[in-house]
Amino acid sequence: MNVEELVRDSLRDLAGEQEPAAPGFADRVLAERRRRRTRTFASVAAATAAVVAVSVAVPQLVSGGRDDVRPSGVTGGHSLPVTAISAGRTVVAAYYTTATRKTGKGDGVAERTYRLLDPSTGRYKKDNRWSYVAVAPGAKTAAVIERTLPASRFGLLDLTTGKVKQWFDVRTGAGGLAFSHDGTKLVITTYDEHPDVRVRVENGSGGVDPAFMEGGTSRSGYMIFDLESHNGSWWQIKPNRDVPSRADFAFTDDDKAVYAQVVGGNDGMEEFYNLSGKKITAPAKEKYLRWDVPARISPNGELAALGLTKEVNMGKKLPGKSYSSIRNPLTGKEITKVRGGQLLAWVDDHRLIAWERTTPLKNAGYKDHLVLVTIGSDKVVVLSGVRDPDDGPQRLAWEPVFAER
Amino acid sequence: MDAEAQDSFREFVEHRSSALLKTAVLLSGGDRHAGEDLLQNALIKAAGRWHRIDEPEAYVRQILYRQQISRWRLKWPRRELSVAEPPEDRTGGDDSSAAEVRLVMRGALARLTARQRTVLVLRYFEDLPEADVARILGCSVGTVRSTTHRSLARLRVLAPELAALNTPSRPSRDYAPVEVRP
Repeated sequence: MNVEELVRDSLRDLAGEQEPAAPGFADRVLAERRRRRTRTFASVAAATAAVVAVSVAVPQLVSGGRDDVRPSGVTGGHSLPVTAISAGRTVVAAYYTTATRKTGKGDGVAERTYRLLDPSTGRYKKDNRWSYVAVAPGAKTAAVIERTLPASRFGLLDLTTGKVKQWFDVRTGAGGLAFSHDGTKLVITTYDEHPDVRVRVENGSGGVDPAFMEGGTSRSGYMIFDLESHNGSWWQIKPNRDVPSRADFAFTDDDKAVYAQVVGGNDGMEEFYNLSGKKITAPAKEKYLRWDVPARISPNGELAALGLTKEVNMGKKLPGKSYSSIRNPLTGKEITKVRGGQLLAWVDDHRLIAWERTTPLKNAGYKDHLVLVTIGSDKVVVLSGVRDPDDGPQRLAWEPVFAER
Repeated sequence: MDAEAQDSFREFVEHRSSALLKTAVLLSGGDRHAGEDLLQNALIKAAGRWHRIDEPEAYVRQILYRQQISRWRLKWPRRELSVAEPPEDRTGGDDSSAAEVRLVMRGALARLTARQRTVLVLRYFEDLPEADVARILGCSVGTVRSTTHRSLARLRVLAPELAALNTPSRPSRDYAPVEVRP
């Protein structure tokens, strides 16, 4: 193949991947045209009034042009999203904040408060009933666990009506849930004790400012639940000290195995089990993935999203720029870098949703917001208000739950 | 624009915008957002004289191509696609997968100038003969030919990984098919 053929193939590939223009494109064009005409008339009037004619460049306003990308409005005073955040087929179907609630003996439990996207209104609505929520592909149904953990049942919640359609008993104590990518299965992680217990620790200065740390693990196993036949098989796993107190399983890219975080020599390490309770080595494409980079494998299976590799200082006033690594999943070799401090979810084979810093690199703390990033482009599209992970976790440090529509 | 023209405009956009968007995204070096902006601008221009246009698609395409290389766009570099720095350790070699080569090529295409990219899209995506490209862009056939040549040379510089498959089957002056003068 010579360069001309490669150019031809690359252009055709790229064109073939483009999703159709969104419905309503024509109306958007017409609305933009009306807006520009109004602005032109206004400019002409202003110029006429000017005594000295000066050449004024009216910058072209960056128009919408992003019909498949929906940033969220935020409520006044803090950054919690109010309206749906989405890009392409990927939507923030829910988000949660976490707060530690003190329990009897001075210890506490970390509790999540979820806000779920109502598909009929396109707005997030607080739902206090659940300790854990996983959203099914399609973003119309969620699997939910009630407040008391470990739970003896889980439900399938209709996100439009807010009602549980069906309950299923789990005798082994459910603590976490995740849907398979094809939406036909759930993996339910089971625990003997509350997985979010926080043990009070006295700090060095005599406990004036008590802190909490995670308790030990009580993870007992996992259940693979078939949503079509409503059958589940539970697999016990041996206790392992290298497992954090909450170490929920999720499906691998091909839905043929599950993985969870382990604590080891490096950050981001994972362990893998097949669907029959047996520990296995990492699937070929997931060998280099990190537990703490949720985006994982691109939809076409050719790219792996990895961690932050570079930060560019833009001076004292401008926010620093972060870059994460995009690698060949099979070799682990870096192919390119893409903007974003933490890659959260793929939108298509070239775009991802990520957290990106909004603060300068030095002496400015760390605050971030959700952005859409594109491989090959330095440009980011802001999708959310600014989050301050260091300040008041209950109010501001929200975490998104993604689903494919 | 009266109601009838608006309906006909809507119908045209509904049927043709996806195809036009593909071209616009390619002209923008693969940046979907920039492509949508480009197409929106072209459609706004077309809407302004909708009742006088006989062949809307050809008209919109012409605006797309010309808009992309117009002085106005060159004057506002912020609207040009900016790209992340190339990875430091790209060595290419035998283990470069097809996906990797395609990504490298995309990155390189995105870093060409708008004019260079436009000529390549017209020649290799739209498969137009040089004479048609020259007519659309309002330049001479010689300019099309030299721009094509320079663009391909630039791709090789931007993406040395392509060197492995860069054994041209023909000498460079034969890149173009035979020119047909009307």
